[in-house]
Amino acid sequence: MRQLSALLLGATLVTAQSAPGVDANRLPSRYVERATVRWASDAEGGAPFVFADPADPSREVGFEVDLAAAMADDLGVRFERVQTPWENLVQALDRGDCDVAINGLEPTPERRRIARFTRPYYVFMQQLVVREDSAIRALDDCSGLRVGCLGQSVSHTELLRRGGVEPVVYTESARSFLEVENGRNAAVLCDLPIAVAQLKLFPRLRAAGEPFGRDYYAIAVRLDERDLQLALDASVARLWHNGSLERIYRKWSMHNEAQGEIGALSQSGGEHGQVGDAPITDKESRTGSELGLLLAAAAKTIGISCGAFAIAVALGLALALARQFGPRPVRWLVICYVEAFRGTPVLVQLLFLYYGLGQWEALQMPAWLAGVIGLGLNYAAYESEVYRGAISAIPRGQTEAASALGLSGAETLRFVVLPQALRLSLPASTNDFVALFKDSAVVMVISVVELGKQYQMLASATGRFVPLGLLTCALYLAMSVPLAWLARRLERSLDGDKA
Amino acid sequence: MIEVRGFMKAYAGRTLFAGFDSTFERGKSTVITGKSGSGKSTLLRILNRLERQDEGTLRIGDLEIPANLPHAEWRRRAHALRRRVGMVFQGYHLFPHLDVLQNVTLAPVRAFGVDPRIAEQRGLELLSAVGMDGARDRRPARLSGGESQRVAIARALATEPEALLLDEPTSALDPRSTEDVVRVIEGLRAKGLTLVIVTHHQELARRLGDRVVEVGAVGDSGSLHRL
Repeated sequence: MRQLSALLLGATLVTAQSAPGVDANRLPSRYVERATVRWASDAEGGAPFVFADPADPSREVGFEVDLAAAMADDLGVRFERVQTPWENLVQALDRGDCDVAINGLEPTPERRRIARFTRPYYVFMQQLVVREDSAIRALDDCSGLRVGCLGQSVSHTELLRRGGVEPVVYTESARSFLEVENGRNAAVLCDLPIAVAQLKLFPRLRAAGEPFGRDYYAIAVRLDERDLQLALDASVARLWHNGSLERIYRKWSMHNEAQGEIGALSQSGGEHGQVGDAPITDKESRTGSELGLLLAAAAKTIGISCGAFAIAVALGLALALARQFGPRPVRWLVICYVEAFRGTPVLVQLLFLYYGLGQWEALQMPAWLAGVIGLGLNYAAYESEVYRGAISAIPRGQTEAASALGLSGAETLRFVVLPQALRLSLPASTNDFVALFKDSAVVMVISVVELGKQYQMLASATGRFVPLGLLTCALYLAMSVPLAWLARRLERSLDGDKA
Repeated sequence: MIEVRGFMKAYAGRTLFAGFDSTFERGKSTVITGKSGSGKSTLLRILNRLERQDEGTLRIGDLEIPANLPHAEWRRRAHALRRRVGMVFQGYHLFPHLDVLQNVTLAPVRAFGVDPRIAEQRGLELLSAVGMDGARDRRPARLSGGESQRVAIARALATEPEALLLDEPTSALDPRSTEDVVRVIEGLRAKGLTLVIVTHHQELARRLGDRVVEVGAVGDSGSLHRL
């Protein structure tokens, strides 16, 4: 409620009064001169906000695309969209990458530290969505189950607040719904507009229980641009009064009684709001729990990296041997494998493995396992080339000496060539292992919260990019430095005399 | 006894030797000499099946290896032959990832199935015989050239071959190391091991050989002359 009253204060009344010398109804002159306002949003977030038109994917559509267009008309400037990851919208604003952020943003205390918010342009509630055949009727039935949500959203906060469920974080609504449809997650909690839009695409899912809670979408502007906030407040009020907002809500099946609040806000009077300066309430230090979260995520990074590298070494060695000694068709298959996995982004491979193959029930696996296998298959291609190079580097005299001693080809390989080749490949292999530790962050695209993702989430939520970034880097170094040290020790022990 | 009949080998469009016959008798030491590029090392490599002759037949005891065998059969017989003939290389080719004793015991244990303890015992005896018993735990990288070659000889003897082939065993060594290695070879000769030694050193040839064969590949016809 504190949030609401702050908003009411801040959002009120923009139409009549204005600060001396400033016409609150008009855009600040710097924008008028430029005739452009750059608005940030994330098209990956999906319907109904901003998304690619399924009929013509080169065109962006959505309720906020329409809102921006209406404001552009109202203010007489062009609104130019800037694609920005949703988690980083207010940071992008703060850095000056854009002028406003319009993308289903709730004015949370964390965000209000970094940005100033206009009056709300939409009132939304939370909706739980489950499979048609599910027995779940409300969030209370989800105890101990996996429930999807968008990272750093009201839904995410709600799941964390309630406890008892296992929140699974996504950057994109469609994926969180897909995961309920294919049975990986029990439910997804999301903003009502998202539920309405996505349920049209997922006919096997249904809403569970009534919508609950009450929160607001508002436009974020930079802290020091109060004049811009006032101009946008006035514009939202005009759009409400002339019926434009309602038309937009109806077009996207978003209209409901709750929206009356928007109108009520624009009727009231009073001082200009100080939304951007609203008191920051959650000042208590959270470093302790942040470190705990980062450590847990680092453990996941270690697990995924070690598992993936074990696959990479075993498969890479098999591939190298097949390429070196196999019959011609096998050699060609290996070459195809190596080129295919080396020549395509690991990100695409992971999405394909997890979401693509996951459409068949037999090929479904937990996200962490898909991460381990995907990274393992990818790195196997690199390792196989490292081992192949090392095997070719063993002088012919070594194999001749072994043959002359009566060792068979297989014995020569096992006792003479491979031990030397593995020693030769150790520096390059260590290099790859260290690289894998860092690259493992890419598994965040399949909803695994490892160290990189945890940092992103914590930093975006708190705005503490620098201290948390240093802590995260320290954790990555704490993994890679001992690894390099161990590898050097292993090299020395392989080289050295026993005496 | 190793018998060679009608050997011919061409290399890079050049005939190294043709119509070559020779018998390497049991318990005798044969030295093969000749100028660089005359084909003497190639002949030795053919004797150990590291290369194939183009024509002719190699026989050791009851094992016969003619030219033009199908590949699989050639490999089978070559493998059988190598178990009866040891080889020492000019460049030693010790296994750098194994210590001295492991170099000696690798083939007996891994290829011949000898009990590791017995192989180790025998390996130490061989190292002692070549004067290297104090170096059992050292890696080849820490050995001098002469030491390496003496370990290589012990390694070749560990499989108890009927004959030992030595390819320029001293050419990479300084005079003192050469003397150490030559003494070891003299010891083997005294014990009655069949030896075939390739060297371009005339003095070494006289000192080590019961018989000296000079390979003189000159011009296109290139033939192997016997002295």
